[in-house]
Amino acid sequence: MSLIQAILVGCVAALTQLEGDWLGECKLREPVITGFLVGLIMGDVTKGLMIGGALQLMWMGATNIGPSSGLDIGAGGTIGAAVALMTGSDLEVAVAFAIPVAVIMQMLNIMKMTAFSTLMHQVDAAIDEGNEKKAIFIHYLCGFFTFSIYFLFTFIVLYFGSNVINSIVESIPDWAMNGLGAIATVLPAMGFALLLNLLWDVKLVPYFIVGFVAAAYLGVDMVGVCAIAVAIALIMFEIKSVQLNAVPAAAIGAEKDEWEDD
Amino acid sequence: MARELDKKEFNTIFWRSFTLLGSFNYERMEGLGFLYAILPSLKRIYKDDVEGLKEAEHRHMEAFNMTVAPSPFVMGLTVAMEEQAKEDPSFDKGTINALKVSLMGPLSGIGDTFFWGIFRVLACSLGASFALQGNILGPIILLLVFNIPNFLTRYYGLKIGYGRGAGFLDELTSSGKMNLFTYCAGIVGMASVGCLTASWIGISSPLVLNIAGNEIIIQEYLDQLCPQVLSLAAVLIVLRLLKNKVSTMKITIGIIVIAFVLGTLGIIA
Repeated sequence: MSLIQAILVGCVAALTQLEGDWLGECKLREPVITGFLVGLIMGDVTKGLMIGGALQLMWMGATNIGPSSGLDIGAGGTIGAAVALMTGSDLEVAVAFAIPVAVIMQMLNIMKMTAFSTLMHQVDAAIDEGNEKKAIFIHYLCGFFTFSIYFLFTFIVLYFGSNVINSIVESIPDWAMNGLGAIATVLPAMGFALLLNLLWDVKLVPYFIVGFVAAAYLGVDMVGVCAIAVAIALIMFEIKSVQLNAVPAAAIGAEKDEWEDD
Repeated sequence: MARELDKKEFNTIFWRSFTLLGSFNYERMEGLGFLYAILPSLKRIYKDDVEGLKEAEHRHMEAFNMTVAPSPFVMGLTVAMEEQAKEDPSFDKGTINALKVSLMGPLSGIGDTFFWGIFRVLACSLGASFALQGNILGPIILLLVFNIPNFLTRYYGLKIGYGRGAGFLDELTSSGKMNLFTYCAGIVGMASVGCLTASWIGISSPLVLNIAGNEIIIQEYLDQLCPQVLSLAAVLIVLRLLKNKVSTMKITIGIIVIAFVLGTLGIIA
């Protein structure tokens, strides 16, 4: 990998953080995006997109809700795609690098968020001094620090580690490839279970069944299932709205009766 | 007649709200980001009251944490309440933070359902299906499907938060519309996850048993039982573990180890 390519891929990794920090979680961290950008840098957009898409499926449910986040898919996806393109390998190799990186970077993130806590006392002091500029400076400093870590980590791994990476990729035996492929297949189950947990309401279980059956037995795709679900949701909204409007009226009626009884 | 923020001030809060997570930390969480977003408004409100301004700044440096997309609603609400607090000396400033804290849970709940549960899933699955074919529309569609609702929620959240304030939320909550809205969103969310489970995990078994000269292909039997039954089972097992409060880290590591071993042994693929 050339120096310029390593620098640019480092920027992509930094961008996945910039997205959350300064751009309002606009989803530049998703593997489809990073795969596309890395593909553009490495000169093979089609393959970048395909690896990005496959990593995307693996991490479909990787939800970072609150501080209890699990995986850093931004850096993981970027480095995974970059290694696969660099060594001319397939999804299994991308997975072999994407997962460890996503776990390591998440640990680093946790340390970073702990370290930033101490800076907050500086902000308190700045407010007492009436120095708002300093408070704003600290706000941006945190982001700048994050981008620097991500950029440097990615750049160093890809530029100085490329020989090591190549030898690792070459030494992955075939049986391990099957294992890595299986990880990529099973891991989405984790994500979908997290989503189910997030949306969970016993009363909603029938709709899960509808979605599953439509896809598994009838072969309806995502857009089709969503359209069916939106239609059902609109019908339910209509029915329940009528019920909602009816309830207060009934309550008023009941109250009146009580008055009359008196 | 709903009140409106000055155009310039509205834009400042709107754009600054995108940096809410910029200094996320475990002590104050999004506190500094929140303060940064509404700082120009605080300066306007307390322009002739240095001590009041410091007090207000400290107030909004307190811990705050919320799904980011609905947060501008709270920012608008906060600015409106700070104005009220400045005009009316008897206004209890403690209620401003009490309200902020009380909104964190419910708005994050709705925000997570919509943004993580629905918009992200829809955006990413559409994006991935184009990307897998090497189609450049993948990333474009992903960004559009997620960010159009993201921008609209932020824009109207801030507008409504300032203009109609807490009354708007009370109205929605007390009429039960809020719950109904979340419920109906949940229908779409659950159905999509059902579809994803069936179409995008695809665990299968390459096992072939050889019993008395008859080849028994395990996957054929599994398919007769129910298509994608292994994927469904995997999701339900993980859900069970999550409900039993097993940490996500442990589950992830468990999946990686088990899947790797089973894959290596040729039991699943």
